[in-house]
Amino acid sequence: MMYVLRRIGFFLLTLWAAVTLNFLLPRMMPGSPTDAAIAKLAQNGPVTDATRKAIEAQLGVPDGNIFEQYLGYLHQVITLDFGVSYTFYPQSVSEMVWQAFPYTVILVGFVTIIAFVLGTLIGVLTAWKRNTWLDALPTLTGSFASTFPYFWTALLLLFFLGYVLHLFPTSGAFGPTATPALTWDFFTDVLYHAALPALTILITSLGGWIIGMRNAMINTLGDDYVTFAEANGLKGRTVAIRYAARNAILPNLTGFGLALGGVVGGSVLVEQVFGYPGIGYLLFNAVIGQDYPLMQALFLMITVSVLIANFLVDIMYGVLDPRTRR
Amino acid sequence: MNPILEVKNLSVVYESSGFNALQAVDHVSFALEAGEFVGLVGESGSGKSTLGLAITRLQKPPARTNGGQIFFRGKDIRELDAETLRQQRQGGFAMVLQSGMNALNPVRTIRNHFIDIFRAHGHVGKSGWDARQIELMEKVGLPKETLARFPGELSGGMRQRVSIALALSLEPQLMVFDEPTTALDVLVQQAIMDTIKSLQKSEGFTAVLISHDLGVVLESTQRVLVMHEGRIVEDAPSRDILENPQDEYTRMLLSHYADPRAEVVELPGFPDRAGRDTGGAARTAGATARDGRSSDSAIVVDHVSKVYPPPRRGEQAVTAVDDVSFTLEPGQSLALVGASGSGKSTIAKLITGIEKPTAGTVEFGRLDVAQLGRRQIRELHKNVQMIFQDPYSALNPLHTVEYTLTRPVVNFGGLRGPAARKRVLELLETVGLAPVEQFAAKLPHQLSGGQRQRVVIARALASNPQVLIADEPVSMLDVSLRAGVLALLEDLRAQWGVSMLYITHDLLSARLVTENIMVLNGGRVVERGNTAQVLQHPEDEYTIRLLDAVPNPARARGAAV
Repeated sequence: MMYVLRRIGFFLLTLWAAVTLNFLLPRMMPGSPTDAAIAKLAQNGPVTDATRKAIEAQLGVPDGNIFEQYLGYLHQVITLDFGVSYTFYPQSVSEMVWQAFPYTVILVGFVTIIAFVLGTLIGVLTAWKRNTWLDALPTLTGSFASTFPYFWTALLLLFFLGYVLHLFPTSGAFGPTATPALTWDFFTDVLYHAALPALTILITSLGGWIIGMRNAMINTLGDDYVTFAEANGLKGRTVAIRYAARNAILPNLTGFGLALGGVVGGSVLVEQVFGYPGIGYLLFNAVIGQDYPLMQALFLMITVSVLIANFLVDIMYGVLDPRTRR
Repeated sequence: MNPILEVKNLSVVYESSGFNALQAVDHVSFALEAGEFVGLVGESGSGKSTLGLAITRLQKPPARTNGGQIFFRGKDIRELDAETLRQQRQGGFAMVLQSGMNALNPVRTIRNHFIDIFRAHGHVGKSGWDARQIELMEKVGLPKETLARFPGELSGGMRQRVSIALALSLEPQLMVFDEPTTALDVLVQQAIMDTIKSLQKSEGFTAVLISHDLGVVLESTQRVLVMHEGRIVEDAPSRDILENPQDEYTRMLLSHYADPRAEVVELPGFPDRAGRDTGGAARTAGATARDGRSSDSAIVVDHVSKVYPPPRRGEQAVTAVDDVSFTLEPGQSLALVGASGSGKSTIAKLITGIEKPTAGTVEFGRLDVAQLGRRQIRELHKNVQMIFQDPYSALNPLHTVEYTLTRPVVNFGGLRGPAARKRVLELLETVGLAPVEQFAAKLPHQLSGGQRQRVVIARALASNPQVLIADEPVSMLDVSLRAGVLALLEDLRAQWGVSMLYITHDLLSARLVTENIMVLNGGRVVERGNTAQVLQHPEDEYTIRLLDAVPNPARARGAAV
């Protein structure tokens, strides 16, 4: 219990630090959105002071000293008010992020979890049956598949399963006729559209989990407690899962935390290739369109999701490893 | 009576790709009668642990049995399939591994370890689980509260007791103990061996005790198998081994035991101190004159205490060293002895400036060690060098001996190029690693444990120090290698006038290489004086306990007669 409270305290502290950095960093950078806009206008002729004021007002440049600005910013963060998007005016930033969020979480987040679970299970199997075909086959195919560049695998799948065989749709999160609603039809349509990008992520990330778990478990299989468990005549399954795998998974949790944290920020490429309207797609468009409010909100969100993922992994560690519970 | 275990011409080979196959066990035959307590003794690399794993069918690749039979109750267990073998482990043969501390699953409670075994064999009804667990814990002398703990919450000795209780829960007829006390503290070691002995009597299982320590084995077993280079070179009742050893190797092993309490203590290559000593002061004076060592290189420890903050909130602060004072004069040798946790290593840290005393002062010559700045600490380390316990981890495996020794020669001695190389070769000569050119080019893994420890000593000598702090320098070495390293240390002191602080739990080696001794218990000095006198006529109860814990074949003889 002490452990969880301490972890929560630590989480809140890092969250505050991240939010504050997100406030300070843009202010410490040279140049500003106003300067950028004026530089553009200046190419066509002199810019008056009034024009500058107008642009500042239009961009919502905050008044007051930096401390007042900080308080205002904190208030906005807490109320999730990140202003209005430049490129998708008059939609509010929070509204856009909220629309994109579920797609990314379902697609990338869910697939990352599946890849971890599946990869770990296969890794356990390969280590337990090492030096047999049950080891060689998954290990070789897994490492082979994970060496392909990610977008290349994506294009291959798009071409064969999408264009040639017409098994799966090639872009979008749902069909043109579907309307977003909490119905079974819409849900299956979303799953159908998520299949190809999900498969791509699975193929490219599975190998890493298999090999990571296999190596960790081969190490624990050599540990004394495994030999002792065998000496005590425990059943093979108990030794493999409760003794060897149970300890081997601990170091892999850290990697899992990093992967989970990277879900929101790391989805740019996959969503771009498949035209999938998630956070990554939004971020890409925000950068292209110099949509500062949208970017700021997304960066904050990426940071926070990394923190949350790490927090969850810390808690999992506490549950799985009694040695961390001090 | 039929033997319970009969091993016929057993051979085990290690086959790793890229290495020559190594015949670790070579046509070994022996038989055990039911109820016997047999010792299996040998030095590292003799194949004793490999044999232990082979007769319990626990060996793993690259080890492979390549010949012979193992009959357990008349059946060849080499022919059993995996499932029969697994079932056989209940009521059959059990094994307690060397490092009991690592033999438990760190993420399972002790109770779950028992339950795993009960589930696997179903030999205890579910309603009887609790009672049986408590009964087993009592047998090994642990409170039942231990059942709810995780292995990480127990001390090394407690974990080894748990391992024994787990093995006992199988109700085995044969138990193999592979170095059950090796990594444990002397006093704990003795207590565990007592537990094993009394359990063997009360439970009546046949027991095999594998150990590198002939003393421990002779004290507890009725019969001893001596192993050397994969073969059993002697198989005789313990008493015959002690009184009338037949094999050369057995005799060599025995010659390295002596009672630290005896009037005259000698080991091969190590005559008794009384015969050598011409008086510390005279020799010290000579050494001082020759090397121009100043007399202000004495180490003065004055009413020093070290208190560590509590390890967890709400617990007591730990007093590692409690008001200790002593002086180490140039050319002197002083033994610091005590069980683990007695504060002896903390004192070494205080002298080398790694830790700062909570109270009192440590002085080297005129320097107050706690007040030294960075540059002065460097000067201190040039004069006060450490020799570490584990020669296997004290050398970087990627560097040649020459590189390892060149570093301090360059950094402390300021020598370059050919001069540095000349000094390195001199050092190797000093520590007796000849031919020096060959040893200079070697990598640590090409050296034996004793040779590695000599390199560690050479490295400590590179800066021409005035004080050596040796922290258990021989405890990781085979018995037959110890005397050589000890003789080297003694030589350095006598010839070069280096003073030595010798930290150990091994009273025999302390008797051999030191003039004076301090016995530490719980951070306090409980007894001090001339080493031979203190060990022959100990006054403090703790010193007596330490002396009693020394495994001693001679005492076994006394008991047997």
